[in-house]
Amino acid sequence: MVYFINDIITGALIGLLYSLVAMGFVVIYRASKVFNFAQGELVIIGGFIVWYTTMQMGLSLWLSIPLSLVLAGLVGYAIERVFLTKLIGESVFSMVMVTVGLLILLRGLVLLLFGPAVRPFPIIFPLKPLFLGDMLITMNLLIGGIITIIAAVALSWFFNRTRSGLRMTAVAEDHVVASSMGISVKGSIAFAWVLGAILSTIGAMIFLSGKSLTFLASDIGFAALPVALFAGLESIGGLILAGVIIGIAQSLTTNYLDPMIGGSLGSVVPYIIMLAILLIRPTGLFGWRTIERV
Amino acid sequence: MDPSGIFPTSYRADRRVVRTRWQAIALALFMVLMLAAPYLASGRIIAVLNMMMISAVIAVGLQICTGYAGQINLGQAAFMGVGAYTASILASKTGLTFLLTIPLAGFSAALFGFLFGLTAARIKGFYLALTTIAAQFIFHFAVLNLPSTWMGGSNGITVPPAELFGLRFVGETAQFYMNLVVASIMIAGAFGIVRSRFGRAFVAVRDDDVAAGIMGINVAATKANAFLIGAFYAGVGGALWAYLIRFVGVDQFTLFNSIFFVAMIIVGGMGSIVGALVGVFIIRLIQEIIATVGPNIADSVSFLGGDIVFAGMNVILGGVIALFMILEPKGLMHRWNILKSSYRIWPFPY
Repeated sequence: MVYFINDIITGALIGLLYSLVAMGFVVIYRASKVFNFAQGELVIIGGFIVWYTTMQMGLSLWLSIPLSLVLAGLVGYAIERVFLTKLIGESVFSMVMVTVGLLILLRGLVLLLFGPAVRPFPIIFPLKPLFLGDMLITMNLLIGGIITIIAAVALSWFFNRTRSGLRMTAVAEDHVVASSMGISVKGSIAFAWVLGAILSTIGAMIFLSGKSLTFLASDIGFAALPVALFAGLESIGGLILAGVIIGIAQSLTTNYLDPMIGGSLGSVVPYIIMLAILLIRPTGLFGWRTIERV
Repeated sequence: MDPSGIFPTSYRADRRVVRTRWQAIALALFMVLMLAAPYLASGRIIAVLNMMMISAVIAVGLQICTGYAGQINLGQAAFMGVGAYTASILASKTGLTFLLTIPLAGFSAALFGFLFGLTAARIKGFYLALTTIAAQFIFHFAVLNLPSTWMGGSNGITVPPAELFGLRFVGETAQFYMNLVVASIMIAGAFGIVRSRFGRAFVAVRDDDVAAGIMGINVAATKANAFLIGAFYAGVGGALWAYLIRFVGVDQFTLFNSIFFVAMIIVGGMGSIVGALVGVFIIRLIQEIIATVGPNIADSVSFLGGDIVFAGMNVILGGVIALFMILEPKGLMHRWNILKSSYRIWPFPY
C-alpha cells in the first residue's frame, strides 16, 4: 500500500514536470496562436545554457541561474525575430510548418555546437530525497512541482485578469482583428516566445538537475504534448490537473501493468490518452470552444 | 495557362495532363533518358536515382494528403514503415511474390492511415497533425514491444530479394527498373486522382472545409480518404524501400524522416504533383551532397565525428523549410508557373 501511494505521488510530481514543459506550449499558443512543435528543443537549449554558465564559466548557481534565464529569454526573442515576425497574418499552416522546421534546425544546431557527448548537468536541487515514513520523494521533482503550481497560478491570473494578458488573449483569437484593434501582435508574440523559452529553461533545470545532458533530452517536449492537449491548449490552470492525471496514469502503468505484459506500455500511455481525448473532446478539458463561420 | 492557339473544345481535352506537343516530347525524352540511365550513368548515380524514385512515390502521396486535401501529415514515415514491415514480413515468412506484397503493403498502410484519418470526423487543423505524430510514436511502440517473432523487435527484419519467374531483382540496375515501373504507375495514378471527382473534393476541403460541407461534400470522408490515399502511396514506397535496402528496422521511419518528406513538398510547391517531384529531386540532392562532403568536414573538425552529417542535414533542411515558408510559401513550382506564363504571353504583359 505504501508503495502504491508512493507511486501515485511520484507519478503526480512527474506529471507536474510535464505540465511545466507543456506550459511553454500553452503560453506560446495563448499569446500568438502558434503551436510550437520545437518546445523540446527549447528545453535542451535551456539545458545547454545552464550547463555552459555553471560548468564552463564556473559561475555559482546564484549567478548562473538568473543569467541562464536571461540568455534563454534572448534566444526565444531571437527565434521570434528571425522566423515568426515575418509570418504575422499568414495562415496557421505556415506558422506550424515553420516551427516544424525549427524543430530539426535547432536540433541540428545543438548537435553542431555541442556535439553528441554526454555531459554532467549541475546539481541545482538537493539530491537527497525526502523520506515520509517509508515513502521516498525525489527532491528536485518536489520543488519542481511547487514551482509549477506557483507559475501556473501566476500565469493564469496574468492571462485572465490583467489588461496586457487579455490583450495577448485577443491576439490568440485572431491576428488581423487584434492588430486592427490597436494591439501589438508583434509585441505579444515576442513576449510569448521569451516566456516560453524561460519556462523551458526552468523545466530543463528541474528535469536534468544532477543527471546527464545530451541532445536526446528534447524528447520531453513530445512527452509533454499530451498534457497540453488534455488540458486544452488555451488553459494554463488546467495543465496542473491534466499533468497530474497523466503522470499518475503513466506511473501506475509502468509499475503495475508493464511487469505483467513485459513491455513498456508506460511510455505510450500519454499518447493513448491524447488520442482518446482528441476523439471524445477535441478542445481538451478546459479549452475554448470556437464557432466557425464561412 | 495554355499557350495561345490551344483551345480545348471538349471536356476531355480540357482535362488533359499533357497539353501541348512540347510537353509530350519532353515527357517522352525524360522517359527515354530514365530507361537508358543504367547504361549512361555510374552505379552511384543509379543508387541515388533509386532513392529518389522511392521518395517520389511517398512524397506524391503526401502531396495528395497535404498539398491537395490540406491535411497536415507528420506521420508519413510511420505509414511508410507499416508498408515496409508488411512487405518484408509477407516476403520473408510466406514467400509471396513482390507483385502481391507491394500492393498489400500499400493496403495495410492505407488501413493504418485511414484509422488516423477517421479522427478527422471530430477534429481538424493542426490537432489532426498531432494525431499523426501519435501515429509515429504508436508505430515505434508496436514494433519494439510486440513479440519479436512478429516484427523483429529492435533487430529488424531481413528481406529476401524480389523474384519473378526465377529472375532475381538484385543489384542497383534491376531494382532501378522495378522502381521505375512502380513509380511511373503511382505518379500517373496521382495525376488521375487529383483531376477526378475526389481530387476536386480535396481541393474544396483544403480551401474551406466549412464551405465545402455546405456545398454537399462529405468533409470527414474526404479527409479520411486523403489520409487513405497518402498512406497507400507511403506503403508502396515503403515496400520498394524494403526491397532496395533488404532490411527494415524501426530507426528508418522516424519523425525526422516524416519532416524530410514535408520539406520536399514545401520546397517543390504545395498542390502540384510535379512540384513534389521537383522537391524530392532537390532535397535528395542536398542530402547526397551533405553525405558526400560531410565526412571530409568531419575530418577537419574531429570532435563532432560522424554526427556532422545528421546535424548538417537537420540544419540545412530546417533552414530550407523556414526559409521557404517565409519567402516563398508556394514553393518553386509557383515561381516556374509565373515564368512559364510570362514567356507564353510574351511580348504582352498579360
